[in-house]
Amino acid sequence: MEGTVIECLRNATFTVELQNGHKVLAHISGKIRKNYIKILPYDRVLVELSPYDLTRGRILYRYRT
Amino acid sequence: MTITRVEETHWLAVEDDREVGRGDAACRPDGRMFVSIDAWQGAVFDRLAAAMVADLSTPLYVVVDETDREVRAGWERAGFTTGRREREYAVPTDPRVTGLDAVRRPSAVTIVPAGEAQEALLRVLDRAIRDEVEATVGWQAMPAEVLPRPAGVTIVDPSKYAVAELSGRYVGLIRVAPVTRRPRIGLISVLADEQRRGIARALLAHALGSLHRSGAESVWAEVDESNAAAVALFEGVGARCTGGNLELVRL
Repeated sequence: MEGTVIECLRNATFTVELQNGHKVLAHISGKIRKNYIKILPYDRVLVELSPYDLTRGRILYRYRT
Repeated sequence: MTITRVEETHWLAVEDDREVGRGDAACRPDGRMFVSIDAWQGAVFDRLAAAMVADLSTPLYVVVDETDREVRAGWERAGFTTGRREREYAVPTDPRVTGLDAVRRPSAVTIVPAGEAQEALLRVLDRAIRDEVEATVGWQAMPAEVLPRPAGVTIVDPSKYAVAELSGRYVGLIRVAPVTRRPRIGLISVLADEQRRGIARALLAHALGSLHRSGAESVWAEVDESNAAAVALFEGVGARCTGGNLELVRL
Protein backbone atom coordinates (compact mmCIF):
# COMPACT_ATOMS: atom_id res chain seq x y z
CA MET A 1 0.00 0.00 0.00
CA GLU A 2 1.14 3.54 -0.63
CA GLY A 3 1.54 5.98 2.21
CA THR A 4 3.28 9.10 3.42
CA VAL A 5 5.83 9.24 6.21
CA ILE A 6 4.60 11.65 8.83
CA GLU A 7 7.08 11.07 11.63
CA CYS A 8 10.48 9.51 12.22
CA LEU A 9 10.52 7.70 15.55
CA ARG A 10 13.22 6.05 17.60
CA ASN A 11 14.39 2.52 16.97
CA ALA A 12 14.48 3.12 13.20
CA THR A 13 10.69 3.16 12.92
CA PHE A 14 8.32 5.57 11.21
CA THR A 15 4.70 6.57 11.41
CA VAL A 16 3.20 6.20 7.94
CA GLU A 17 -0.23 7.42 6.96
CA LEU A 18 -1.72 5.13 4.34
CA GLN A 19 -3.89 6.34 1.49
CA ASN A 20 -6.96 5.07 3.33
CA GLY A 21 -6.13 7.33 6.27
CA HIS A 22 -4.92 4.59 8.61
CA LYS A 23 -1.64 5.11 10.38
CA VAL A 24 0.85 2.30 10.83
CA LEU A 25 4.12 1.91 12.63
CA ALA A 26 6.65 0.85 10.01
CA HIS A 27 10.29 -0.05 9.92
CA ILE A 28 12.41 -0.18 6.81
CA SER A 29 13.26 -3.24 4.79
CA GLY A 30 16.70 -4.79 4.83
CA LYS A 31 17.21 -3.88 1.18
CA ILE A 32 16.55 -0.19 1.86
CA ARG A 33 18.98 -0.24 4.75
CA LYS A 34 21.55 -2.14 2.70
CA ASN A 35 21.38 0.54 0.02
CA TYR A 36 21.58 3.47 2.46
CA ILE A 37 18.27 4.91 1.25
CA LYS A 38 17.13 7.63 3.64
CA ILE A 39 13.52 7.95 4.70
CA LEU A 40 12.35 11.39 5.80
CA PRO A 41 9.00 12.97 6.74
CA TYR A 42 6.74 13.65 3.73
CA ASP A 43 8.37 10.87 1.68
CA ARG A 44 5.91 8.77 -0.29
CA VAL A 45 6.57 5.11 0.36
CA LEU A 46 5.32 1.64 -0.48
CA VAL A 47 4.42 -0.31 2.66
CA GLU A 48 3.55 -3.95 3.24
CA LEU A 49 1.44 -4.68 6.28
CA SER A 50 2.18 -7.38 8.79
CA PRO A 51 -0.23 -10.32 8.51
CA TYR A 52 0.03 -10.65 12.28
CA ASP A 53 -0.69 -7.04 13.21
CA LEU A 54 -2.29 -4.61 10.77
CA THR A 55 -0.95 -1.63 12.70
CA ARG A 56 2.60 -2.65 11.81
CA GLY A 57 4.30 -2.41 8.45
CA ARG A 58 7.52 -2.48 6.51
CA ILE A 59 8.67 0.20 4.08
CA LEU A 60 9.69 -1.55 0.88
CA TYR A 61 10.26 1.39 -1.46
CA ARG A 62 10.63 5.16 -1.39
CA TYR A 63 9.13 6.91 -4.37
CA ARG A 64 11.08 9.66 -6.03
CA THR A 65 9.80 13.11 -5.19
CA MET B 1 7.78 -23.49 7.71
CA THR B 2 10.10 -24.15 4.81
CA ILE B 3 13.08 -22.11 3.69
CA THR B 4 13.89 -22.24 -0.02
CA ARG B 5 16.68 -20.64 -1.98
CA VAL B 6 14.55 -19.56 -4.92
CA GLU B 7 17.34 -17.72 -6.74
CA GLU B 8 21.10 -17.44 -6.38
CA THR B 9 20.65 -14.41 -4.10
CA HIS B 10 17.10 -14.80 -2.83
CA TRP B 11 15.56 -16.95 -0.08
CA LEU B 12 11.91 -17.34 0.91
CA ALA B 13 10.32 -18.55 4.13
CA VAL B 14 6.88 -20.03 3.48
CA GLU B 15 4.34 -21.25 6.01
CA ASP B 16 0.88 -22.53 5.09
CA ASP B 17 1.46 -21.39 1.50
CA ARG B 18 2.10 -17.87 2.70
CA GLU B 19 5.39 -15.96 2.48
CA VAL B 20 6.47 -15.09 6.03
CA GLY B 21 9.99 -13.88 5.35
CA ARG B 22 12.61 -13.28 2.71
CA GLY B 23 16.34 -12.94 2.50
CA ASP B 24 18.57 -11.28 -0.07
CA ALA B 25 22.25 -11.15 -0.83
CA ALA B 26 24.10 -8.68 -3.02
CA CYS B 27 27.75 -8.49 -3.93
CA ARG B 28 29.25 -4.98 -3.82
CA PRO B 29 31.80 -3.90 -6.40
CA ASP B 30 34.58 -4.42 -3.84
CA GLY B 31 33.65 -8.11 -3.72
CA ARG B 32 32.00 -8.11 -0.30
CA MET B 33 28.71 -9.95 0.06
CA PHE B 34 25.99 -8.04 1.92
CA VAL B 35 22.86 -9.82 3.13
CA SER B 36 19.48 -8.68 4.43
CA ILE B 37 16.39 -10.35 5.90
CA ASP B 38 12.79 -9.20 6.23
CA ALA B 39 10.72 -11.26 8.63
CA TRP B 40 7.88 -10.51 10.98
CA GLN B 41 8.95 -12.98 13.62
CA GLY B 42 12.28 -13.71 15.27
CA ALA B 43 12.00 -17.44 14.68
CA VAL B 44 11.57 -16.89 10.95
CA PHE B 45 14.49 -14.47 10.93
CA ASP B 46 16.67 -17.05 12.63
CA ARG B 47 15.74 -19.81 10.19
CA LEU B 48 16.41 -17.58 7.19
CA ALA B 49 19.72 -16.39 8.63
CA ALA B 50 20.82 -19.97 9.29
CA ALA B 51 19.95 -21.01 5.74
CA MET B 52 21.74 -18.05 4.17
CA VAL B 53 24.84 -18.51 6.30
CA ALA B 54 24.92 -22.17 5.34
CA ASP B 55 24.54 -21.41 1.63
CA LEU B 56 26.98 -18.51 1.31
CA SER B 57 30.71 -18.24 1.79
CA THR B 58 32.03 -16.05 4.57
CA PRO B 59 32.79 -13.29 5.25
CA LEU B 60 29.26 -11.94 5.07
CA TYR B 61 28.24 -8.37 5.86
CA VAL B 62 25.05 -6.63 6.88
CA VAL B 63 24.10 -2.99 7.52
CA VAL B 64 21.75 -2.18 10.40
CA ASP B 65 20.56 1.02 12.00
CA GLU B 66 22.33 1.22 15.33
CA THR B 67 19.03 1.96 17.09
CA ASP B 68 17.29 -1.07 15.58
CA ARG B 69 17.95 -3.40 18.48
CA GLU B 70 15.67 -6.16 17.26
CA VAL B 71 17.33 -6.62 13.87
CA ARG B 72 20.78 -6.22 15.33
CA ALA B 73 20.06 -8.89 17.93
CA GLY B 74 18.85 -11.21 15.18
CA TRP B 75 22.09 -10.93 13.27
CA GLU B 76 24.12 -11.33 16.44
CA ARG B 77 22.26 -14.58 17.13
CA ALA B 78 23.43 -15.68 13.68
CA GLY B 79 27.06 -15.05 14.62
CA PHE B 80 27.55 -11.55 13.26
CA THR B 81 29.62 -9.01 15.19
CA THR B 82 30.17 -5.28 14.73
CA GLY B 83 32.85 -4.54 12.15
CA ARG B 84 32.58 -0.77 11.95
CA ARG B 85 30.28 2.12 12.70
CA GLU B 86 29.30 4.98 10.49
CA ARG B 87 28.00 8.16 12.11
CA GLU B 88 25.28 10.18 10.47
CA TYR B 89 25.66 13.93 10.90
CA ALA B 90 23.31 16.84 10.37
CA VAL B 91 25.62 19.64 9.27
CA PRO B 92 24.49 23.27 9.59
CA THR B 93 25.13 25.51 6.60
CA ASP B 94 24.87 28.96 8.20
CA PRO B 95 28.41 30.43 8.31
CA ARG B 96 27.54 32.17 11.57
CA VAL B 97 26.93 28.73 13.09
CA THR B 98 29.73 26.81 11.38
CA GLY B 99 32.32 29.53 11.87
CA LEU B 100 33.41 28.94 8.31
CA ASP B 101 32.86 32.57 7.32
CA ALA B 102 36.21 33.26 8.95
CA VAL B 103 38.03 30.46 7.12
CA ARG B 104 40.90 31.63 4.95
CA ARG B 105 41.76 29.52 1.97
CA PRO B 106 45.27 28.05 2.03
CA SER B 107 47.57 30.22 -0.04
CA ALA B 108 47.61 29.55 -3.79
CA VAL B 109 44.56 27.28 -3.51
CA THR B 110 41.50 28.14 -5.61
CA ILE B 111 38.08 26.55 -5.21
CA VAL B 112 36.45 25.68 -8.53
CA PRO B 113 32.66 25.64 -8.03
CA ALA B 114 30.49 22.64 -8.87
CA GLY B 115 29.75 22.48 -12.57
CA GLU B 116 32.91 24.35 -13.56
CA ALA B 117 35.57 21.71 -12.95
CA GLN B 118 37.39 20.33 -15.98
CA GLU B 119 36.21 16.75 -16.29
CA ALA B 120 39.56 15.31 -17.40
CA LEU B 121 41.41 16.83 -14.44
CA LEU B 122 38.62 15.77 -12.09
CA ARG B 123 38.89 12.17 -13.24
CA VAL B 124 42.67 12.23 -12.77
CA LEU B 125 42.18 13.44 -9.20
CA ASP B 126 39.46 10.88 -8.50
CA ARG B 127 41.73 8.09 -9.78
CA ALA B 128 44.65 9.31 -7.68
CA ILE B 129 42.54 9.46 -4.52
CA ARG B 130 41.17 5.98 -5.12
CA ASP B 131 44.67 4.61 -5.70
CA GLU B 132 45.72 6.12 -2.38
CA VAL B 133 42.76 4.48 -0.63
CA GLU B 134 43.56 1.11 -2.16
CA ALA B 135 47.19 1.44 -1.07
CA THR B 136 46.35 2.44 2.51
CA VAL B 137 43.10 1.84 4.42
CA GLY B 138 41.41 -0.07 1.59
CA TRP B 139 37.75 -0.11 0.67
CA GLN B 140 36.61 -2.04 3.72
CA ALA B 141 36.51 1.17 5.74
CA MET B 142 34.66 3.13 3.07
CA PRO B 143 30.92 3.55 2.78
CA ALA B 144 29.19 2.12 -0.27
CA GLU B 145 28.88 5.65 -1.59
CA VAL B 146 32.58 5.77 -2.41
CA LEU B 147 32.82 2.43 -4.12
CA PRO B 148 33.24 2.31 -7.88
CA ARG B 149 30.19 1.38 -9.87
CA PRO B 150 30.18 -1.56 -12.26
CA ALA B 151 32.46 -1.08 -15.28
CA GLY B 152 34.78 1.04 -13.15
CA VAL B 153 32.70 4.21 -13.37
CA THR B 154 33.43 6.35 -10.33
CA ILE B 155 32.26 9.82 -11.36
CA VAL B 156 28.69 9.55 -12.53
CA ASP B 157 27.88 13.26 -12.62
CA PRO B 158 30.90 15.61 -12.78
CA SER B 159 28.66 18.65 -12.22
CA LYS B 160 28.21 17.66 -8.57
CA TYR B 161 31.91 18.15 -7.76
CA ALA B 162 33.64 21.29 -6.56
CA VAL B 163 37.43 21.01 -6.52
CA ALA B 164 40.46 22.66 -4.96
CA GLU B 165 43.05 23.70 -7.52
CA LEU B 166 46.71 24.28 -6.71
CA SER B 167 49.23 25.32 -9.36
CA GLY B 168 47.11 24.03 -12.21
CA ARG B 169 46.27 20.63 -10.75
CA TYR B 170 43.30 19.49 -8.77
CA VAL B 171 44.21 18.38 -5.24
CA GLY B 172 40.88 17.95 -3.45
CA LEU B 173 37.22 17.46 -4.17
CA ILE B 174 33.81 17.59 -2.56
CA ARG B 175 30.67 16.07 -3.99
CA VAL B 176 27.28 17.38 -2.95
CA ALA B 177 24.00 15.79 -3.97
CA PRO B 178 21.70 18.83 -4.06
CA VAL B 179 18.62 16.86 -3.06
CA THR B 180 15.71 19.18 -2.27
CA ARG B 181 14.50 17.20 0.74
CA ARG B 182 17.93 17.35 2.37
CA PRO B 183 21.20 17.79 0.48
CA ARG B 184 23.94 15.32 1.16
CA ILE B 185 27.70 15.55 1.18
CA GLY B 186 28.63 12.31 -0.52
CA LEU B 187 32.39 12.64 -0.52
CA ILE B 188 35.14 15.01 0.56
CA SER B 189 38.75 14.10 -0.03
CA VAL B 190 42.20 15.65 -0.47
CA LEU B 191 45.34 14.09 -1.91
CA ALA B 192 47.58 12.69 0.82
CA ASP B 193 50.50 15.04 0.13
CA GLU B 194 48.23 18.08 0.39
CA GLN B 195 46.40 17.15 3.57
CA ARG B 196 46.58 19.06 6.88
CA ARG B 197 46.70 22.42 5.08
CA GLY B 198 43.03 23.35 5.47
CA ILE B 199 41.98 22.38 1.95
CA ALA B 200 39.14 20.11 3.08
CA ARG B 201 37.88 22.84 5.39
CA ALA B 202 37.99 25.33 2.52
CA LEU B 203 36.05 22.94 0.30
CA LEU B 204 33.50 22.43 3.07
CA ALA B 205 33.18 26.19 3.61
CA HIS B 206 32.56 26.66 -0.10
CA ALA B 207 29.95 23.90 -0.36
CA LEU B 208 28.07 24.79 2.81
CA GLY B 209 28.11 28.48 1.90
CA SER B 210 26.60 27.73 -1.51
CA LEU B 211 23.91 25.55 0.04
CA HIS B 212 23.10 28.20 2.63
CA ARG B 213 22.65 30.83 -0.07
CA SER B 214 20.33 28.48 -1.93
CA GLY B 215 18.15 28.10 1.16
CA ALA B 216 19.29 24.79 2.65
CA GLU B 217 19.56 25.00 6.44
CA SER B 218 21.40 21.74 6.91
CA VAL B 219 22.90 18.88 4.98
CA TRP B 220 23.74 15.38 6.02
CA ALA B 221 26.88 13.37 5.81
CA GLU B 222 28.05 9.93 6.88
CA VAL B 223 31.48 9.50 8.44
CA ASP B 224 33.31 6.37 9.47
CA GLU B 225 33.81 6.54 13.21
CA SER B 226 37.47 5.54 12.90
CA ASN B 227 38.21 8.41 10.49
CA ALA B 228 39.39 10.87 13.15
CA ALA B 229 40.22 13.64 10.67
CA ALA B 230 36.77 13.54 9.08
CA VAL B 231 35.02 13.39 12.47
CA ALA B 232 37.03 16.42 13.64
CA LEU B 233 36.28 18.29 10.41
CA PHE B 234 32.51 17.87 10.69
CA GLU B 235 32.20 18.24 14.45
CA GLY B 236 34.41 21.33 14.21
CA VAL B 237 31.72 23.07 12.16
CA GLY B 238 28.96 22.17 14.58
CA ALA B 239 27.72 18.98 12.93
CA ARG B 240 25.37 17.02 15.18
CA CYS B 241 25.43 13.23 15.27
CA THR B 242 21.86 12.09 14.61
CA GLY B 243 22.41 8.36 14.44
CA GLY B 244 24.47 5.81 12.70
CA ASN B 245 24.77 2.56 10.84
CA LEU B 246 26.53 -0.53 12.04
CA GLU B 247 28.25 -2.82 9.61
CA LEU B 248 28.12 -6.31 11.07
CA VAL B 249 30.33 -9.09 9.79
CA ARG B 250 30.37 -12.86 10.09
CA LEU B 251 33.85 -14.21 9.48
